[in-house]
Amino acid sequence: MNTINKFKITAITLILIGFSSCNKEDDMPVLDIIKSEQVINFAAPQTGGQGQPIGGEFSKFDFKTGMKTTSDTEWDIAFRGTTIAINGGVKTGTADEPDRNGNCGSTIVNGTFESVTNVDGLTFAQDSDVGYAIPTGSDNGWYNYSFQSNIISAIPGKVLVFRTHDDKYAKVEILSYYLDQDSSNPAGGRNYTFNYVYNPNAGEISFE
Amino acid sequence: MKFKIITIITLIVINLVDLNSQEIDKDSLRIRPLDEVIVTATRSIRKLSSLPLPVTLISRNKIIKSGTVRLNEILNEQTGITTVFDESGFEGVQIQGISSDYILILIDGVPLIGRSAGNFDLSRIAVGNIKQVEIVKGPSSSLYGSEALGGVINIITEESKTENLEGNLSYRLGTFFQQDLNLNIKQTINKFKYSLFINRLSSSGYDLKPELNRPSFYPFRNYTFNARASQELNNKISAFLSFRFYDQIQESEITLDDIFFEGETKENDYNFHFRLDQQVNDNFDLDYELYYTSYGVKELIRSIFNKKILNDSYFYQKLFRPEIRGNYSLGKSTITGGIGFQYDQLERTFFEEKVNFNSQYIFLQIDINPTKKINLIIGGRFDNHSEYANQLSPKIAFHYKINNDFAFKGSVGYGFKAPAFRQLYFDFTNSAVGYTVLGHNVASEKVDELQRQGQILQVVVSENELITPLKAESSVGYNFGTTYKNNNWNLDLNLFRNDFKNLIDTRIIARKINGQNIFGYVNYDLIYTTGLEINTGFNITQNLNISAGYQLLYAFDKNKEKLIKNKEVFARDFETNQTVLIQRNQYFGLSNRSRHLANLKFYYDLTKSKININLRLIYRSRFAEYDTNGNGLIDNYDDSFIQGYITTNISVSKTFSNKLSFQSGLANNLIDYTDQNIPPIPGFLGFVKLNYKL
Repeated sequence: MNTINKFKITAITLILIGFSSCNKEDDMPVLDIIKSEQVINFAAPQTGGQGQPIGGEFSKFDFKTGMKTTSDTEWDIAFRGTTIAINGGVKTGTADEPDRNGNCGSTIVNGTFESVTNVDGLTFAQDSDVGYAIPTGSDNGWYNYSFQSNIISAIPGKVLVFRTHDDKYAKVEILSYYLDQDSSNPAGGRNYTFNYVYNPNAGEISFE
Repeated sequence: MKFKIITIITLIVINLVDLNSQEIDKDSLRIRPLDEVIVTATRSIRKLSSLPLPVTLISRNKIIKSGTVRLNEILNEQTGITTVFDESGFEGVQIQGISSDYILILIDGVPLIGRSAGNFDLSRIAVGNIKQVEIVKGPSSSLYGSEALGGVINIITEESKTENLEGNLSYRLGTFFQQDLNLNIKQTINKFKYSLFINRLSSSGYDLKPELNRPSFYPFRNYTFNARASQELNNKISAFLSFRFYDQIQESEITLDDIFFEGETKENDYNFHFRLDQQVNDNFDLDYELYYTSYGVKELIRSIFNKKILNDSYFYQKLFRPEIRGNYSLGKSTITGGIGFQYDQLERTFFEEKVNFNSQYIFLQIDINPTKKINLIIGGRFDNHSEYANQLSPKIAFHYKINNDFAFKGSVGYGFKAPAFRQLYFDFTNSAVGYTVLGHNVASEKVDELQRQGQILQVVVSENELITPLKAESSVGYNFGTTYKNNNWNLDLNLFRNDFKNLIDTRIIARKINGQNIFGYVNYDLIYTTGLEINTGFNITQNLNISAGYQLLYAFDKNKEKLIKNKEVFARDFETNQTVLIQRNQYFGLSNRSRHLANLKFYYDLTKSKININLRLIYRSRFAEYDTNGNGLIDNYDDSFIQGYITTNISVSKTFSNKLSFQSGLANNLIDYTDQNIPPIPGFLGFVKLNYKL
């Protein structure tokens, strides 16, 4: 079960205020409020691994709803173990991958989460037959695997920036790969906690 | 006499190498100076007090009084020297913040081999027949070539000094059923000297964390045998022969997925050392040396129920080294030089085939006293090696005596280390996770092969990087210090800095289609260690001596410092879940380095009652084992820190008669070891020892 924390409940209020203060005569565009939320314990099971072929269905996530989804089209990113697929490009060729039918793209920016204020100047990659847009393997993408402690840590300062399947923008910071962010319990792996900011307005590139 | 047989055997051995019968001349007996002397620093006999290099000398007397049984224990008590466990759990010595990989270990001037991921396990060395341990800090590649970057530890074994049969038999019993048995015999018969040493050490092991699936330290038993003999063949030539043998069996057991595995690790070490010393004339002597050593480990761990094998590995290394060297005295100066050849061979699991190295070398050193107050040493060595570029290792050192009590000294030297066999020839794929590690010399070919098999997603380094030969790791070391000494106290101070480049590290060279990496070995890291060392000693009364030592250390990676400067390193503050930029002052430094090491020692002799009491307090400040937050360096947000701790060692000796003495001791530590995954300090240890002089 995924629980979703709403940080900015005020957002709704603001939207309401926004609507109420506008009327059709005004030429001002009405912008939806940027969502900033945290997803806790998003389960990303996989089968195989440990030398066996990896498989199992990806757990899909949709920024628009901020929820897990089983939709074949209305999804942006999908998790399976440490692998993150995006709804853009083509299948990389591993077992049980979802079809890509959106225009999702991704890139990784170095910095604090706050420092990524917009997508200006970024170029986005898509999944392809030579690999995932977010590279897999320790230190290649979002995580580091420690041989000493056998722990998968989200590399601090790696901000994943996405163009969603329907051309909006979002940024994600993964905080933990373990249930309740407790890395001392290896059995709790494959449970993501991440922060994200989503700008629901088409053509808007800002996260502020 | 019961030792007659052994004597005869030894004589036979000596006769095998006896070149020709000869007359005996007393004049060729070498001078045995009264002042403390060492041979490691210059490869000639030098007074400790006049040396321009930072040196630690551990005498037999100190070793006996401390009640230690293995070399790692006594080294741990010396200023600026500590033993640490690396990320794989192997123990190695660290000097001036430089790890065991870069410290050459010698026995009677010839190298000991057999390292686990670069770490030399000093607990292999029994201390029972050691005359003294000489430690020269800073690079000494100008004399010793590869591995002598951080320092040289030379173990000098005892030789006979009298015509009487001397010897001792001792038994020691300690916590964890540790039993240490020693037999020493030595004698001089005319121009023939021999000494024999036999040691047996065993322990029932211990378990600090019973909740784990295996004990912290497995039971073991080991044997050391060392026979050495020398014979004057004529008034110009004497022969020296030493044979050493070490053998250990360690039992292991582990439970994995409810399957019980057991097995053993067998380790052995042979050394054959032969030397002819020729006194050409009063000013010139030559040594002709032949040395052969082998080291082997074999481990087999399996389940007796389903025959499943957990580990079946082996490691066999050999080294052969003939060397000729000489000393030529020329009034105010001594010229030391040598020429040699070295053959190294290794056969092990994860190597496709047996591999070997060849090297030839020549060294020359001038030790000159231009005035009474100044001593200068200028030297260099050239190594030609089959696997990497030739190395020229220069060194210069000076000692300036201001007066009889006070002196300045300094040295600058170059050190290097040949790439290890594994860094060149390793070929290993982890079957559980799927990653691969390749040695540099096999990487290009193996990557091509995997590419043809369609297993490679992307090669992330250029072809050029894969085929450019790996360079030797190297360092430049600087040491500057002062020494002050009077009858009652002394003070030594040394400032040091070691700049390393081309350190070999593993890096991702390619990505596989299974999402895992191929790691290769590359020249990458630039690190430095710098700090200062202070040693002082006081003779409070004739019977009470107090000494203290301190090392301050800063050890960092320059590449990481640059990344921090470029604001590219982050950490997560787990309290707030916020990602924060790492500042320079939050970078703690290299793993397993403590900023402060200190010791305080009291030696008290009750002459009348023949009791000796000593207390040694050893402090090691906080250090971190490895990066835990994935940012590639150790910072204040990591949680692998081990808090600073003090080890307290006490021993009391009482001599009952000319023949019999008794010693008892406690080694205690104040650290909360239950948090540790590694067994560096097993907690409270006690022992009793009886020694019988033959």
